[in-house]
Amino acid sequence: MAYSEKVIDHYENPRNVGSLDKGETDVGTGIVGAPACGDVMKLQIKVDEGVITDAKFKTYGCGSAIASSSLVTEWVKGMKVEDAMEIKNSQIAEELSLPPVKIHCSVLAEDAIKAAIADYQKKNG
Amino acid sequence: MSPSPSETEAADHFVRLGLPRRFSLERDAIEDAYLERARVVHPDRFTNAPVGEQRKAMERSSALNEGYRILRDPVRRAEYLVKLAGVDVDSSDPKAGAPHMDQAFLIAMIERREEVEQARAQGASALEGLRGRVEDQLEEIFDRAIEQLDAGDIQQAALALVERRYLQRLVDEIDSSS
Repeated sequence: MAYSEKVIDHYENPRNVGSLDKGETDVGTGIVGAPACGDVMKLQIKVDEGVITDAKFKTYGCGSAIASSSLVTEWVKGMKVEDAMEIKNSQIAEELSLPPVKIHCSVLAEDAIKAAIADYQKKNG
Repeated sequence: MSPSPSETEAADHFVRLGLPRRFSLERDAIEDAYLERARVVHPDRFTNAPVGEQRKAMERSSALNEGYRILRDPVRRAEYLVKLAGVDVDSSDPKAGAPHMDQAFLIAMIERREEVEQARAQGASALEGLRGRVEDQLEEIFDRAIEQLDAGDIQQAALALVERRYLQRLVDEIDSSS
């Protein structure tokens, strides 16, 4: 599998790896899994007045899954929650030049950010 | 030899190998069935046949090989039976694809991965111990999948098989780090 330069960059220097306190009310946590390959992804956001101020992830999976989640945490920082909701897997796949067999990794990252936002909204609804 | 309906592409691998469509099959029975049929459909037997026949023989032979690869492997055989029953664990289709695991399971999986990192830091024996525990669980879950499969509960069988995949991935990760 030939990875694109961007995937390798995120894989070797992943941005925002780590955890936020999931007990805090201003933190939303999304945990998703890819049944076909067994990859798991945890993505967390910290929100202040409708803006995502911090994002962390932990992904156990292939390089494309790690790169997809790393990229999403980079994108969403400073973004309004409603704008982050609009992130599409196709944008992630395009930015990272993912081959067709790795598209599901970008889907996983989209699912993870949506799940994190849903968790935050549930806590603050 | 004229192709019978059992050799058409629509036939499933059990039919193709002349085996009953069930999980419980002897390894030797699968191998015998394969060898017997592989001889009959071998493309070498069709070298003087018209081109169309040769191509068909090639297709039959490769479908047979594929079937043998799947059925001789217990995990792939179980996953294939579930697929024939309508649940494809290789697909992420919300209806016919792999069942989605609940949050508690996924959280546990993240924690298990963290355990791998800790064991790795502790050294080879800690990693070996963890691997043993995951292997035991793998077996347990697979047994459960087969029980559900035999009982005809495809959804539960698929769920157990997907759980097994996550754990298999964990074992692979331990192996790649040791």
